[in-house]
Amino acid sequence: MNQVPESKNVAARAESASKIYGSGENEVRALDNVTVSFERGKFSAIMGPSGSGKSTLMHSLAGLDALTSGKVFIGDVDLSTLNDKEITKLRREKVGFVFQSFNLIPTLDAYENITLPLSLGKRGGDEAWITKVIDTISLADRLEHRPSELSGGQQQRVAVARALATRPEIIFADEPTGNLDSKSGTDILTFMRRAVTELGQTIVMVTHDAVSASYADRIVFLSDGHVAGEMSNPSPEKVLEYLKHLGD
Amino acid sequence: MFRLSLKMTLARKGRLLLTSLAIILGTSFLSGTTIFSDTINSTFDRLFTDVFRDVDAYVRSTDSVDTGFGEQRAPSPIEALDIILGVDGVSAAVGDMQSYARVVGKDGEPLGEDQGPPTFGGIASESVAGLWNVDSGRLPVGSGEVMLDRATAEAGKFVVGDKVRVNALSGSREFTLVGVANYGDISSPGGATFALFDQPTASEFLLKPGFVDAFLVQGDGTLSDEELAEAIDAALPKSAKLETLTGAEITEETTSQIKTVLGFFTAFLTAFSFIALGIGCFVIYNVFSITAAQRQRESALLRAIGASRRQVTISLLVEALIVGLLGSIIGFVSGIGLSRLLSALLNAVGLEIPTTGLTIATNAVTRIVLIGTIITVLSAILPALRSGRVPPLAAMRDTALDTVPKLGRRIVVGLILIALGAIGLLAALNGARVAILGLGVLGVFAGVLVIGPAISKPVAMLLGKPVAGLRGVTGSMSRQNAARNPKRTARTAAPVLIGVALVTAFTALAASVKNEIRETIGASFRGDFALSVNSRGFGGIPTSVTDKIKDLPEVDQATGVGFIAAKVGDESPFILVFDPKTAGGLYEFEMIEGAQTDLGDDEILVETDKAIEKNLVVGSSVQITLIDGSSKQLKVAGTYKNAYGNYAVSRELFADSTSPLFDSFVYIRVASGVDDDAAQKAISTVSSDLGIGTLESRDAYIDSQAAQVDQFLALIYGLLFLSVIIAIVGIIITLLLSVFERKREIGLLRAVGMTRSQVRMMVRWESVITSLFGAVTGVVLGILTGIVIVVSLNDAGFSAFTLPIANTVTILIGAFIIGVVAAVFPAWRATRTEIISAIASA
Repeated sequence: MNQVPESKNVAARAESASKIYGSGENEVRALDNVTVSFERGKFSAIMGPSGSGKSTLMHSLAGLDALTSGKVFIGDVDLSTLNDKEITKLRREKVGFVFQSFNLIPTLDAYENITLPLSLGKRGGDEAWITKVIDTISLADRLEHRPSELSGGQQQRVAVARALATRPEIIFADEPTGNLDSKSGTDILTFMRRAVTELGQTIVMVTHDAVSASYADRIVFLSDGHVAGEMSNPSPEKVLEYLKHLGD
Repeated sequence: MFRLSLKMTLARKGRLLLTSLAIILGTSFLSGTTIFSDTINSTFDRLFTDVFRDVDAYVRSTDSVDTGFGEQRAPSPIEALDIILGVDGVSAAVGDMQSYARVVGKDGEPLGEDQGPPTFGGIASESVAGLWNVDSGRLPVGSGEVMLDRATAEAGKFVVGDKVRVNALSGSREFTLVGVANYGDISSPGGATFALFDQPTASEFLLKPGFVDAFLVQGDGTLSDEELAEAIDAALPKSAKLETLTGAEITEETTSQIKTVLGFFTAFLTAFSFIALGIGCFVIYNVFSITAAQRQRESALLRAIGASRRQVTISLLVEALIVGLLGSIIGFVSGIGLSRLLSALLNAVGLEIPTTGLTIATNAVTRIVLIGTIITVLSAILPALRSGRVPPLAAMRDTALDTVPKLGRRIVVGLILIALGAIGLLAALNGARVAILGLGVLGVFAGVLVIGPAISKPVAMLLGKPVAGLRGVTGSMSRQNAARNPKRTARTAAPVLIGVALVTAFTALAASVKNEIRETIGASFRGDFALSVNSRGFGGIPTSVTDKIKDLPEVDQATGVGFIAAKVGDESPFILVFDPKTAGGLYEFEMIEGAQTDLGDDEILVETDKAIEKNLVVGSSVQITLIDGSSKQLKVAGTYKNAYGNYAVSRELFADSTSPLFDSFVYIRVASGVDDDAAQKAISTVSSDLGIGTLESRDAYIDSQAAQVDQFLALIYGLLFLSVIIAIVGIIITLLLSVFERKREIGLLRAVGMTRSQVRMMVRWESVITSLFGAVTGVVLGILTGIVIVVSLNDAGFSAFTLPIANTVTILIGAFIIGVVAAVFPAWRATRTEIISAIASA
């Protein structure tokens, strides 16, 4: 069903990934034998109703959660072979995150938040790259502000910049516009789009919003822990139309 | 609402446990000391009732001097014994004695501690009125025999037939051990040692031939104790100056005397347990403040569904009541164990206090549980009121950065409180009531705690600077976390602050006292060697030993200095006794007026401040009464400063007195041409070989005299140790709550690549910065307090203050370690944060 791109072009993939919570009668299969891959240099979206397993898939791919069975890879690295310290290092260097809310450390200013993963790794970042990222989110004049002094949209832009700062293999965004008004949401989606198109980054975004999903190059639909289908070059109308029939 | 509060309290077991911990620790020490002193008191009640069981009447001299550290009484002539035995209704009577006698062990070292329980010499008698029961061997007879108490015999590994050396007023002698005895039913009372002789030997060796301390009388049963005492009193001539007490009266008096002495000790312990409880108070207040803030949403929800402000406030107070009650009860129970520990500790340092059984007074239980509960509820009032003020629609806020409004006002109010407290302290030092001292200390601490939140942020940022520099972004976050919640940081650091301030103040005081001792001794003592005993006014170096040293060919000159209780005017101080004939060039007073040489037995020297206070000038007349009741008018021959004691008299004054005069120090100058080693060896033959005193060179002597202050300091450190434990627990609790509160933040940090060891490091450094904040402010406060005390106590003013640099550095290192230790568990908890659930808990 899935066309699997050639390995060197794959930023992240799951192979027969299952995640089971509870046991016996209370058993819940959040992911049921999912095989999926995400291409390098593309903007992908994972869609599905609540409880479809989309967040679980993302958390597993990002090394935040362990699978019950199956494997996930970031690039060529099999995450199940890594210990906590190695996974942490991988997240710091190869993975970027944008969460729905509470993305920033309140005690650090915007610039420190952006460079946080680099500082944690004690390695100097690529100054030119960071300047470029900051230019892209157009927040150069607010870098010394604390998160509490920034608007919700500005906070999410800082979060996107942080995700980009290490020039990671892949960025995972979990409902990044979920808490924003539509104007700020549009801004964030535009930035993510530009990060992929202009800066050559890879983004996987979890969303339940058709308009947000339409910014992606490709959408993977999840339902009841299964991959239910996918769509390339989506538009909001096509997505809504598809979702209507997903339940059928 | 009450049932709801109860349910909500019990639902949060973790929080319940953390809050109770502070109360448990605070109350357990109070309970421990209370049970301990109750047990000692009832043990002594029983002991003396037992010891005086067969004593129906007690005859003693009417002359006594009460120095405030126990009474010293004149001896009674042995002739009175025949009069007493002649009284109708008396079946038996015997002389009793408790004078100084030091038993020397087989290794040449005297038994018993210089600082410990007394070492007594007494009379062993077969009379049923006697206090001693022979355990093995027989009673001593004649001038060559001795009996020991069982504990001392066992400690010295003496068996009947051994030779035993004993030092007492009239010198050092060897006796044959003929028997071992028990005191009542126990081997030795309170760890004291006893050497027992027949009456004539005891009188001649320990006191003065023909005298005893008192008489123990047993009736034949025909008279009541009161009638017996009256009959004896009637038979004794007025000129004998003797009085008769009933058995019950002497039991009561002895017990209350012991209790007075122990009272100092237990009052001291109680004071420190209240300090510990006070420190616990801050921890409780802090925990309630933090949990009240953390359940803001819960409170808001309660308000939204119709709970009134009062109900929300009361629900938190109910929680405090439950926690307080539970914690105090557990604290009381753990205090029982602590009291046992305290006994064991005192036994280990040689202060054997007989504590048979365990006395738990019912009122002690109620009192401690009540104190613990009230303190908990009081500590919760402010947070509870704040909790009630939460608006029903309190927004779901992120953990915002705290701000402290009205910084200026805080600082002003705090400074006023500190100033008021300082005035109270000064008033107390100038003789005001102890309550004022307490209020003064309270004022200073309250002031510092009001200022705390205003300065905690900048100080924490300053202290954290090197951490941020060394540890990069992790250190920088530790620094920010320590500073982000200034009130919390200040409250968490408060216990450290108080503990460190007390330690620093006492250390500074001790350093200054040590310096003063050095200067005082250094100025007056000019010889090469000193022989000293630390006898605290009871016993010491027999003057015959001093004379023997003086007569050694290797010694140019030796002079003894002693102290004795006497009445001078309306006071009963210890007065300094020296030998004007030999003191010249060896023990020199810093004379202001007059001279110490040629001081006659009708003259006295007075310390200059005392002279001014008492309106005495050279030529004035002073009435002095010795322990034996003999009274004399002395002429002031001069004034001096910087010496132990406010009055100094010549040894000649005691030539015909029954007052037991010992030397505490013997100062020695080596004859010219004799090297120090040879001199030391020669002196040792009369001193060390007899097991008398410690022979030291001038420098070593000055060092060891100053070092005595350290023993006192060590005791204070020991007692403050519990406060340190509470401070550590306080930091642990706060960190745990902070880690819980910042769960999402930690989850996020972990998600973007913070390793577990970095999380641990972040928590650890926050803890260290907080602890150091407390320590640094505590050191500053402690030094200021130390300066105030030293300056107000000392004429020399500020120059008398010595800054204890090494100790201060040690304290800061200690605070660093406290920070690291306190962070271990919270940091581990932080590393266990589940990333996904932390992020999801939006």
